[in-house]
Amino acid sequence: MTTSKQPTGLILNIQHFCTHDGPGIRTTVFLKGCSLRCKWCSNPESISLKPELAYKRSQCIGAKACGLCLKEPCVERAFYVVEGEDDRVHVNWDLATDCGKECADVCPTGALYMFGQEMTVDEVLAEVEQDSAFYRESGGGITLSGGECQLQADFCGALLAEAHRRGIHTAIETAFNVPWANVEKVLPHVDLVLHDHKLTDSDWHKKWTGVDNRQIMANFKRAYETFPNTQFIARTPIIPGVNDYEAHIRSTLALIRQYPNVIDYELLPYHRYGESKYEFLGKVYELKDFTSPTAESLQRLQAIIDEAFGRSGQPAEG
Amino acid sequence: MTTPIKRIAINVGAGYVPGLNTVISGAVLAANELGWEVVGIRDGFEGLLFRDRYPDRGLVSLTPQLTATLDPAGVLLGTAVRNDPFHVRTINADSLVEEVDQSEALLETLRQEGIDAVVSVVGSRGLTILYKLHRKGLKTVCIPRSTENDMAATALSFGFNSTLSDTVAMLDRAKQAAQAAHQIAVVEVLGTHAGWLALQAGMAVCADAVLIPEIPYDLPKVVAKLQVKAKAGGTYGLVVVAEGAVSAEPDTPEETAISALKAALSPLANDYEGAHVIQRSGYAAETVALQLQRLTDHETYPLVVGPWVKGGVPTAVDRQLGLGYGAAAVRALNTGQTGVMVAFQPPDLTLVPLAQAINKVRTVPANSEFIQIARSLGICLGG
Repeated sequence: MTTSKQPTGLILNIQHFCTHDGPGIRTTVFLKGCSLRCKWCSNPESISLKPELAYKRSQCIGAKACGLCLKEPCVERAFYVVEGEDDRVHVNWDLATDCGKECADVCPTGALYMFGQEMTVDEVLAEVEQDSAFYRESGGGITLSGGECQLQADFCGALLAEAHRRGIHTAIETAFNVPWANVEKVLPHVDLVLHDHKLTDSDWHKKWTGVDNRQIMANFKRAYETFPNTQFIARTPIIPGVNDYEAHIRSTLALIRQYPNVIDYELLPYHRYGESKYEFLGKVYELKDFTSPTAESLQRLQAIIDEAFGRSGQPAEG
Repeated sequence: MTTPIKRIAINVGAGYVPGLNTVISGAVLAANELGWEVVGIRDGFEGLLFRDRYPDRGLVSLTPQLTATLDPAGVLLGTAVRNDPFHVRTINADSLVEEVDQSEALLETLRQEGIDAVVSVVGSRGLTILYKLHRKGLKTVCIPRSTENDMAATALSFGFNSTLSDTVAMLDRAKQAAQAAHQIAVVEVLGTHAGWLALQAGMAVCADAVLIPEIPYDLPKVVAKLQVKAKAGGTYGLVVVAEGAVSAEPDTPEETAISALKAALSPLANDYEGAHVIQRSGYAAETVALQLQRLTDHETYPLVVGPWVKGGVPTAVDRQLGLGYGAAAVRALNTGQTGVMVAFQPPDLTLVPLAQAINKVRTVPANSEFIQIARSLGICLGG
């Protein structure tokens, strides 16, 4: 039963039947808000901690057929039509204030819509538990992702505690750039932590993610030590020219292999899946000229990891 | 009663066009004639938002003596990648990255520095930012600058003429290379929403075809044009493509199925939307070149002019325009005007309220004289 006293979270999306966010078939809950600004981010709609306006131009039927957003309720005049083009609406993102959902409400085709919805613990779990049969068969469960889910620590803690109480396996995806106080609220209720280890060099970390990695590195060690019964899997999104070099992989291994509860280290090849959403939000995708890492590059780095974990495979060169 | 102006600042918005120093010179010389002091804000507004990063606290004293030594091709003040004081990226006490509205702090710093008004050299987006600052009380006159000439209310944005000249020079070279190789060169030039640069540069070099965002292209028409040329003995081709040119028949009009991996890693994305804007530079040229190679007997190759024409030496037209825009902005402030953009509406330099200049893109009209001329010259426009 939903109670008004439950903490609420700002939810971006609940994705069913995920197989890449922990063991088994999982339901991934994406939370809004992030404390990093990674230039390769594939979920730009998750960055802001507030609901925000988005626009799919392909779904606009044009000013002549509709034009509702050009009238009320936008007092900022954030919408306009360009002469000489078709009459579909443009958004002046510098005037759009994400002030509410009135403009999204008046759009009959859903071209204008909001990213982010307030939900209670019970509301989220009602959606998640639709997949509970699959969890039992596959060993799956719930995964909280983002953004940085630990920014909404009170909500995350409450949600994961309740999931545990209902016998659901819990996992989070996190970059750990949050105060330790947040970690303390969340991790007691987590079975598996999938955590990014983006860049070892602190200056480079700041260059590519917006902030240095001192808090992150401190949180890694403290989390490994404070929660010895929680499993951790380190992950590195491999971005060519940014962190696809051996020294980063070896440095990460040197840290995590000290802790038996860090059970694996995974490489996530850079992808451009999220690029369309930059346009939905009127944001600039800074890595538009970047490409995915080559198979050879990934194999070379993976071999180093396999060797460190004592797995069979080609020995790493050098 | 309006406070008389004694000290003004100049800033340059995000993005670079050739010859920004000439605008600065124009404003400084005109202000000097009025006895005003002029300072330049470094790197957009960053000089005042992050003053500790600059040995001179982000402000440069601009004098006629200094402007006499300026290289017209340079930009003394620098530019910022982003120039938005309403969303300044900062790191808070918890080491979390966040965007903070520092517009009030900026205005307060301007007041503390005794700066009575700001002359801003901006593109379309910067124009909106200055409009918002003006609504909060900033006295400002804006100067339009664009490599694509896509800013509304002015017939000519600063920087366009230089970009056009450089683009023509690049197309000449591409044409010569295509002639030598007996191939079809498909050259992508700047122009996301407006095709002025492609159209005018393509006309100048008598390209075989020019594809612009305003006219969705039907590639068989381009093929027909190239085949007629080949039958007449032509052994090469030159096709100019604006980066925002789109096919009249998109390849993927319907939303395609999203893979499970993609759905997991980036929910709510789709495959086709955003390709137009987000695709890497060269995408438009590659797409057209590949299809032309399939549809003609010729080999094709894509080239990208792109950022090559965003730097360089300003043309005589831009030098005059820059000086004129700078001086006109100061003249406007001296007559009590604020919240306006200087516009070139031949033969006059006039003033347009910012509210009327934003939310518009100056595209090529269907009845444009340039389009008529291009068709008269036998240039295929793809539609």
